[in-house]
Amino acid sequence: MHRRDFLKYAGLISASATVPLLTPEMVFATNGARQNKIVVLVELKGGNDGFNTLVPFTDELYYKYRPRIAIKQRQVLGLNKDVGLHPRMKALMPLWNAGQMAWIQGVGYHNPVLSHFRSMDIWDSASNSNQVIEAGWLSRVLPKYKKGLHGVALNKGQAQLGPLASSNLNAVTMQTPKTFLSQIKRISDVQPSRLNPAIAHVSEIQHQLFSTGDQLAQKMGRNPKHSGVSFSKGVFGHSLESVAEMIINGIDAPVYKVTQDGFDTHAGQRGGQDNGLYQVANGLASFQKSMQRAGMWDHVLVVTYSEFGRRAKENRGGGTDHGTASSHMILGGKVRGGIYGEHPDFSRLDANGNVTFTTDFRAIYATLAQRWWHQPSPWGNLGHLPFV
Amino acid sequence: MGKLTFNEARHLVERTGIGAEWQTIQRFQNLNRQQAIEFLLKNRDMRLPRPPSMSPWSRTVSLRNNMRRKKMIMRISRDEGKKLQTWWVKHLLVTRSPFLERMTLFWHNHFPSSIAKTTQPSMLYQQNITLRKHAFGNFGQMIHDIARDPAMLLYLDGYVSTKEEPNENFARELLELFTIGIGHYSENDMREAARAFTGWGIDDRSGTFVFRANDHDNGVKTFLGKRGNFKGEDIINILLQHPRTAERIATKMWHEFVSIARPDMRIIKQWAQAFRGSNYDISTLIRAILNSDVFWGRHNRGALIKSPIQLTLGTLRTLPYSPAHIDLAHNLNIMGQGVFNHPSVKGWSGGKTWISTQSLLRRNSMMNNLTAGNLNERKNRGGIAKKMPDVSPELLRQWLLAIPPLQAPPTTSGKQRLTRAFVLDPAYQVL
Repeated sequence: MHRRDFLKYAGLISASATVPLLTPEMVFATNGARQNKIVVLVELKGGNDGFNTLVPFTDELYYKYRPRIAIKQRQVLGLNKDVGLHPRMKALMPLWNAGQMAWIQGVGYHNPVLSHFRSMDIWDSASNSNQVIEAGWLSRVLPKYKKGLHGVALNKGQAQLGPLASSNLNAVTMQTPKTFLSQIKRISDVQPSRLNPAIAHVSEIQHQLFSTGDQLAQKMGRNPKHSGVSFSKGVFGHSLESVAEMIINGIDAPVYKVTQDGFDTHAGQRGGQDNGLYQVANGLASFQKSMQRAGMWDHVLVVTYSEFGRRAKENRGGGTDHGTASSHMILGGKVRGGIYGEHPDFSRLDANGNVTFTTDFRAIYATLAQRWWHQPSPWGNLGHLPFV
Repeated sequence: MGKLTFNEARHLVERTGIGAEWQTIQRFQNLNRQQAIEFLLKNRDMRLPRPPSMSPWSRTVSLRNNMRRKKMIMRISRDEGKKLQTWWVKHLLVTRSPFLERMTLFWHNHFPSSIAKTTQPSMLYQQNITLRKHAFGNFGQMIHDIARDPAMLLYLDGYVSTKEEPNENFARELLELFTIGIGHYSENDMREAARAFTGWGIDDRSGTFVFRANDHDNGVKTFLGKRGNFKGEDIINILLQHPRTAERIATKMWHEFVSIARPDMRIIKQWAQAFRGSNYDISTLIRAILNSDVFWGRHNRGALIKSPIQLTLGTLRTLPYSPAHIDLAHNLNIMGQGVFNHPSVKGWSGGKTWISTQSLLRRNSMMNNLTAGNLNERKNRGGIAKKMPDVSPELLRQWLLAIPPLQAPPTTSGKQRLTRAFVLDPAYQVL
């Protein structure tokens, strides 16, 4: 039986059946978008303090190390007997209760580098600590997964492709699809030139604008569907609203990247980080609602990442200095909620006062490759985590 | 050696300047290669417009020590920083010595210190003066001065580094970015270097460098295989003896003046040897580059991507478009090259990274805005065409584009329309 015949047949049956057979997934399938497994990468820029995010509220050392900035036990939103969420992340508690939130503890890597950009390069490229890889880690997974558009990175200023940066990925940066569409009207398509590497790069990017621009114009040019929920004001909320709208209107990127700034909390951490986490939680709560309404929540994984965590002990300025391991969050309709990995041992700090990581960050990437996109993992030896 | 052709003159002007000014191209056509290069190196107008008024360190330092005043510092530095950005951008737009500004920008990008991190624009102004003083001078002297530069001491936390708590930030970047580069030192070398710089601070009253002997680690250090009671100056001198330092500067210059493609290492080694052989005389290195075959090679024409400054300010220095109502400093920020506003201590990565889908759309919109207007020359009384040299369409193309245009020229005639078409062509993005 041909696929189309089957769907017609299924449609006929559903008229008489009590349960509609045409689930949102099938509608999605009929739109011709076979690749419907989306990852939304949430970059927490500056090095987010995992210990004040997923709080080890029964660990005495935590309170001893952080007399001023620790989250009080009674304020922690308990997830289990050991850890709980920062109170400003309350908006995401329904997802924990629904079993759609996973946390990976102690995420880091061997021989940690405490430089922001070098450590972010390591996360972006999935390299070892002492190894330089130019291409983003997604270039080792996505080209085999699908053709065409691979990803969209959104930010207000200069969005960075990060893990999407590679000559074999088709990825674009933008502020919003709306700005993209309005600016693209003023530029014309061009055949890539091979005269030299400089003009080759310029003309390739200009040409690439048009394949993405075409898709955006077709699907969102006129009367695009809206997210259907209100998002918090601010760059992060706007970016996530754009992502939601692109997904709802059927843009076929498997990866979106959004960024929340302000996690480099050397001083006055409770002000800065609290606000950052609030933005992240509220933005993601709106995003989840929007995906749920569109029947897409089962097709999306939200994954946070950051260049490093922070020092176990607070510093003199009520902040924390660059550290190593941190906790990261996965959300999605298909997520197996729970706490994964071991919490780092506060009683065993290294010479710099940093904890030792317990889970290699590439185990998360490997899990996305294998268990989400069903692709071979380039990091096979690092195992994977059953969060999906 | 014969006089420069039109194409050679425009190549030299655009590669060493900001834009391709018609008059300079004309002047260089009367000179041979040697004469033109010497002209570039010797004719420098060091005068600067008066800087904006900025709060001195002595005033902000007391606010800094008060957590509640942090917001006030942020507001002051934002306002003063914006004025400082505009100060330099305005000068870049009108200077008669664009090569001096290009080299100052080059060193500004090698030794970045941002408004956002330092929150002290008055010190960034001083740093800029130091960089332009050494722009064509001695690199060794420059790096010694920069290590003691208050803005750098703030930017990389050197001013809080003591023997009890050595801060590794400056030492790490000195090795990784300013001199020999990653892979040529160990973490231990870096930590030992950090010890040698302890006690380097900023005087509360004068806002200048101060050595605090009490905070300095006097112990013996082992650095790159050498042992001694090293001070910061000794560490810098050891780094200047290392061949990688000159090679890394030569490589950076390749990407600044020759091509975004990977350099030929034999050429880099030649340039680096000339540089070290002259005890780090920057003019010697520049002479070697500007006289080289690779600089003039036809295959390297159009092999660089214009920075936002070259694109935006270069267009305004070349063509009689008006920047009225455009906040240039702000536009440079959003195109990724805000002065005193580097994204990180790595500086602007340049090359291919200037062009992303987002930035290309912005660059194109900016060029669209600059060149917009009534293209009907009869109604427009000639528009910008009247203010431009009287050139044939073919010479106009050779003047504005380093390589042939990728798009067909407009079918409607008119110099203003043709100029706009060239400016909006992808070929205009390279030089």
